[in-house]
Parts: sequence; C-alpha cells; structure tokens
Amino acid sequence: MLSLYKHFLRFYPATHRREFSEEMFATFCQLHADAVRSGVPRRMQFYLREGGGLMLGALIENWRKFAERKFYMRHEFRFPRATWILMTIILAGVVMAIVKGEAISASVPPMNPALPPIHPAQGLLSNWGLSFLIMYAVGIIVGGFLFALRRRRTLRLQKS
Amino acid sequence: MEALPLTEPVLLILLSLAAEPRHGYSMLKDIERMSDGRVVLSTGTLYGALRRLLEERWIERLEQTDVSRGKQAYRLTPRGRKYLQFEVSRLKHLTRLAALRVVMKES
Repeated sequence: MLSLYKHFLRFYPATHRREFSEEMFATFCQLHADAVRSGVPRRMQFYLREGGGLMLGALIENWRKFAERKFYMRHEFRFPRATWILMTIILAGVVMAIVKGEAISASVPPMNPALPPIHPAQGLLSNWGLSFLIMYAVGIIVGGFLFALRRRRTLRLQKS
Repeated sequence: MEALPLTEPVLLILLSLAAEPRHGYSMLKDIERMSDGRVVLSTGTLYGALRRLLEERWIERLEQTDVSRGKQAYRLTPRGRKYLQFEVSRLKHLTRLAALRVVMKES
C-alpha cells in the first residue's frame, strides 16, 4: 500500500512533488500505521479516503498548473537566430512564387475570349504588396499588445 | 486565495495552528479531535490547502534544524492570525443573528 501511495504521488505536478511529496508520504506512513492497528472497516475507509483525496488533489494541482501556464509569458523572450533566417527564406520564397505567378498569368492568353485577361493591379501597391503590408501591420499591433502585457506584468512583479 | 468565508477544512487547519505549530500528522489528528470525528482530511486535501495557505503567506514553515521533511512543522503568520480573527468574528455575528431570528420565530 505504501508503494502504491508513492506511485500515485507521481500524478502531482513536479513542483508540488518537490515541495511536499516527502512530507505527504511520511504523514501517510503514520496514518497507515494507525489504520493497520484499527479494524478492517476503518482501514477500508482510510484507503478510500486517501485514494480519493490523492486523486482529487492531483487533479486540482494539475488544473492549477495548467491555468497558470495558459497566461504565462516568458520574460524577455527572443526568437533564436535560426528562426529569423528560416522565416526570411520562407518569406523570400513566398514573394518569388507570387511574382512568378503574376508573370505567368500575364503571359498566358485567356482560354475564353469572352473573358478579358486578368492582370494584377498595376500601381504602387500590388495585391501581394498590400497583403504583406496588412500582415506587417497586424504583426506590429499584436507585438505591441504583447509588449504592453509583458511590461504590465513586469511592473506588477516589481511592485509585489 | 479564498476570501472570507473560509471553507471548513481551511478554517480547521488555521484553528489547529492557532494554538501551536504543528506538522501534518498532528494537524490531521487535531482536526479530527476538534470536529469530534466529523471532519477527517486526507493527506491530499491537507497538503493542497497547506500549499495555498503558504502561497498566501497565512502560514509559514517553522525553521527547525536537524528535522526531516516528514516532520516539517507549520505555524500561523500574523497575517493568517488576522484573517482567522476576522473569520471568527464573522461567525460569531452570524450565530448571534441566527439565534435572534430563531428566538423571534419561536416567541
């Protein structure tokens, strides 16, 4: 039974285990010794109570950890350099594919003469350029929002 | 953490620590005694509550030398004692009010 209890303690999050598992096990051993001395019905009650309490406790602690992680933001997070390089290569590939696609659509005559050929908008902002600008603006807004959140959290931590 | 009113297990844990510092096993036995065997906490429930009370600084670990983690004792902080006093006065007020209402109803 003691080894089973020790096994069940593994369901708790690591932080909780580090802090309390030794104490919990020692307390359980003392209670177990009392229960062994008492009759069978009281011993069964003890096992049920401890089993249920342990499972419920583990569930609550894991839920708490999950809920904390949901809003957790790492302080001063930076993308690794490899990510920047990879993202630049991907962006260049996408831009090249769009330019190539535009060139092909302009060169191929329309299959149906009733329909006029579709030309990309000629001007300062073509379609892909506009999309890129919109995505860039969205990125700046989201980045600003995250920065504000992080700053607020840092200030709150400094105050506490 | 839980604002007032406190849950019964938390209230009993605080009451158990109000008299003297105790470790886990001693707390469980004291709570059982205080409630005449009505409230028997499991170790999972006890240490979950202790973790929250430690986080809120209502209790603290008693610094002891040469004592294993299994016998780690806890005690109330001044903050915890203050909240316990608030809760006790709230309960006193409630029981006084309840008694008055019951007497009024009976008369």
